[in-house]
Amino acid sequence: MTLLEFARGPALQASALIMIAGMAWRMAGILLLRRRPQYAASRHSLARRMGGGASLILSRFIPRRTFWPRIAVGVMLSAVFHLGLALVFFGGAPHILLVHQATGLIWPNLPKGLIVMASGLTLAAMIALIVRRRLHPVLRLLSTADDYVSWLLVFLPVLTGILLSGEAIGDYGSLLTLHILSVEALMIWLPFGKLMHSVLVFAGRWTMGVTFARKGAAT
Amino acid sequence: MSAPAPPTPPAATIPDAEQVAKAMRRFIADIGPAAALAMESCVHCGRCAEACQFYVQTNDPRYTPIHKIAPLKQAYERELGPFAFVYRLFGLAPQVTAKELESWQALIYDSCNMCGRCSLICPMAIDIADLVERARHGLFEAGLVPADYLGALAEKEQATGSPYGLTQAQFRDMLHDIGLKHGVVMHVDEAKADIIPTVSSIDLKMFPASMAAIARILNHMGVSWTFRTDGFDADNAALTAGDRAGQRKITLGIIRAALACGARTVVMPECGHAFTEMRWEAANSFGQALPFRVVQITELLAEGLSDGRIRVNPGVGERATYHDACQLSRRGGASAAPRLILRALGVDLREMGDAGDANWCCGGGGGVALVKRAQPLRDLAFQIKRRQVEATGAGTVYTSCSGCRQTLEHGGKTANWTSTVASLLERVADTLAHNQKD
Amino acid sequence: MPEDHRMPDHTETLGAALVRHGIGRRDLLRFALAMTASLALPPGIAPVMAENLARAKRRSVIWLSIQDCTGCLEALLQSSSPTLESIIFDFISLDYQETLMAAAGSTADRMLWDAVAANKGEYLLAIDGSIPVKDGGVYALTGGRSTVGIVEALAADAKAVLAIGTCAAYGGIPKAYPNPTGAVGVEDLISGTPIVNIPGCPPMPDVLSGILVYFISFGRLPALDERKRPLAYYGTTIHDRCYRRSFYDRGQFAQSFDDDGARQGWCLFELGCKGPITHNACASLKWGGGTSFPIESGHGCLGCAEPNFWDAGSFYTSLAGGSPTGWQNASMAAAVGLAGGAAAALLARDKADPDPEETPP
Repeated sequence: MTLLEFARGPALQASALIMIAGMAWRMAGILLLRRRPQYAASRHSLARRMGGGASLILSRFIPRRTFWPRIAVGVMLSAVFHLGLALVFFGGAPHILLVHQATGLIWPNLPKGLIVMASGLTLAAMIALIVRRRLHPVLRLLSTADDYVSWLLVFLPVLTGILLSGEAIGDYGSLLTLHILSVEALMIWLPFGKLMHSVLVFAGRWTMGVTFARKGAAT
Repeated sequence: MSAPAPPTPPAATIPDAEQVAKAMRRFIADIGPAAALAMESCVHCGRCAEACQFYVQTNDPRYTPIHKIAPLKQAYERELGPFAFVYRLFGLAPQVTAKELESWQALIYDSCNMCGRCSLICPMAIDIADLVERARHGLFEAGLVPADYLGALAEKEQATGSPYGLTQAQFRDMLHDIGLKHGVVMHVDEAKADIIPTVSSIDLKMFPASMAAIARILNHMGVSWTFRTDGFDADNAALTAGDRAGQRKITLGIIRAALACGARTVVMPECGHAFTEMRWEAANSFGQALPFRVVQITELLAEGLSDGRIRVNPGVGERATYHDACQLSRRGGASAAPRLILRALGVDLREMGDAGDANWCCGGGGGVALVKRAQPLRDLAFQIKRRQVEATGAGTVYTSCSGCRQTLEHGGKTANWTSTVASLLERVADTLAHNQKD
Repeated sequence: MPEDHRMPDHTETLGAALVRHGIGRRDLLRFALAMTASLALPPGIAPVMAENLARAKRRSVIWLSIQDCTGCLEALLQSSSPTLESIIFDFISLDYQETLMAAAGSTADRMLWDAVAANKGEYLLAIDGSIPVKDGGVYALTGGRSTVGIVEALAADAKAVLAIGTCAAYGGIPKAYPNPTGAVGVEDLISGTPIVNIPGCPPMPDVLSGILVYFISFGRLPALDERKRPLAYYGTTIHDRCYRRSFYDRGQFAQSFDDDGARQGWCLFELGCKGPITHNACASLKWGGGTSFPIESGHGCLGCAEPNFWDAGSFYTSLAGGSPTGWQNASMAAAVGLAGGAAAALLARDKADPDPEETPP
């Protein structure tokens, strides 16, 4: 079995299973902790509280105006990174194909040139972000190995992906193998480190949205 | 501007191992799914620091809000997290040490107002302010609450129901004296009443006129009301100390008093955390929904002004601004009521930049004003509020929290303000349109 | 061209044989030019090649078929047309080939070893089909003798070995899981003699003729890559020279056979085309004398010139697809995760101080 066959075959299966099991474990472990019922009278109906949960998921994407001056750079870099990554993953034909073969879902893809450009912007943003993480005093204090490992495991797929789709450097087969293996590494790590925020962000924003809607508190 | 380094606390009287054990037990007991979710979610983006007045004024990264709760998070990861056994096995979350707990005392008590701006900026929607409150519980049980003032207050409050250690008889006398002095009828310890107003300990000491103001307004409204000296002091310094038992004791006292006289409404005074506690936490301590309504005084005033039960003589365009108490506006959902009142008063309202829900904290909330050694830091934080107020050019700064009022007065004096600090409650009482009932 | 039924003269040069067929030096030069282009050699070499071809002596070729399907031979034969290449094939002395030769049994066997003795160190050994080595090589015998031993003996005295087809080069189809006969490619069995791999299932006829012409002209093998394939033909992938590349770049893919995209000739990546990782000359030289090749006919490349192409998963699963996990396994994994997480949470609950008044929000 070549490394490519391994990556496309048993490695893909194993990493998908680990990712699914890990995510389920972590979510169950959090959400099944002892919960205390809320007896305080809510300002709003249950329907409106649920609406609050849903709307916070969206509203937290845009920081409040009062905060902008101090966080604009970080927010912009993060936005370019996330949007670029989303564009590449959800718009790239081979990725859609992967999802299609696993679930049957399919949607139109974007031309390769656009994907390459988006990948380039994503890489640039990621480099800026990691430099910022090393230089900013607050980020230096907060950062752990998890931050750097997670960065690397996202950087490698985007890097190998742009090389693969650019088709200018390196051999297709080898790059494809590296790309698939790097994605599998990301999948395996996802449930256990900070990359899990891709799921937790929804749970957390929902929870705060519902809780704060009960109080009529600012969101 | 550089701040003094966080001070080291005096050596605790409890042995280290026991200290750590107590803190850990309490940390863990305070973590449910919502708090756990919060602690799993931090992506180390650093935005919370940019929202916090203490970081913004000092650029000291140790004041990063999420950093303030690091021991709580470490305890969680080690004991409660879904992969806790892995963390323990590979030493990824070492046991919190007594030394670490001690060095975190100042971060949690001196440099956090629990104002919630960080909770507002966090892209992962972590309610950091709430986590700080929980962390205080663990530190309190480890004997690491700042000894001066705050600790003393909490102990006295637990023993007598008032941070000042006053007995019910002493309260009764105080109230009658205030009634006489201000020429207002006081209802005290009556057997039955619809409305129970409560009072903040700061008002007792600093602003006794506010008690006369409440009485005057309730008389004006012609409702059945009474002060209850067995459920009187709503300040709940135990809350900001992290004393869960004390916090519950005070709250249950108020609830029982309200139940005893069949109250339909309990009115919370001009105080941030008093409202937060009674409106949003009291029912949980009680174990069931409260059989009465809990409103903040500004909500009562706004209701009265809207339905005509309170009539005022509006002023002539006094240029004023309004400082939002964090617990009332941002955290409590009551930022509309004060503005309705100000409009009814005929005030020419000059809102600060960042007014309303995202307003800056005055720096005195959450018990910080009671910690003497935190004063330099608090003063630094206040500079933001100072600039906000001065930029409005307003003659009066209204607020509806005695803690903020005290902080604004102190800060204003230091800054040689020409503007005065005023209580919204007292202002309404002063401009009531007279009728026979008063 | 007039037929000539005279017995081949082993001392006759190729040039003389061509003259006999009415092909002069000018035609030979033209042919050499075409071959240098095909072999990716500098055009200035053409006159040298032509001169060498003219003076070339007959070359003995021994062709051994082992675990073959005869497809490689058929492809080479079927592609023969009255061209100069066929004359060259006539010119080589195909001294042993089991399908084509008239002799059989012990006669054939004697012819084989006679040819070896007569051309020791000079003959080309062509092998198609893989070689079974398991259980003492008992799964392919010729004249009661294991082909393993025969191949080893023949290779030892050969000038070079041509592994024709993917089976001979890398083991091919007999090597596919579970490989009951222990099939291997030539390079796994032989060392010491230069080997050229000419993979493909079947390989392109042009490749064999190009190699032979080169060998006859220059007396050695052309430049090979790390997999021992002639760089001239295997140096690029199907993807590199595929005429449907623009559709790949624009992201226009056929999603099923005979859908709109397929009818418009869109890229077949999503239908499993292995072009990007397959090194061969199909996309440029094409099959059937330049008629077409699989992609042009609407089917994705199978990757048949690459090792283990048969075991690399479905032909219709794209390179991006791999073998998906399947709902059953995914559900199992989710269930295991939920159980583990629930257990962790329950244990944690017990650890948390169960003061009923103090349960946390």
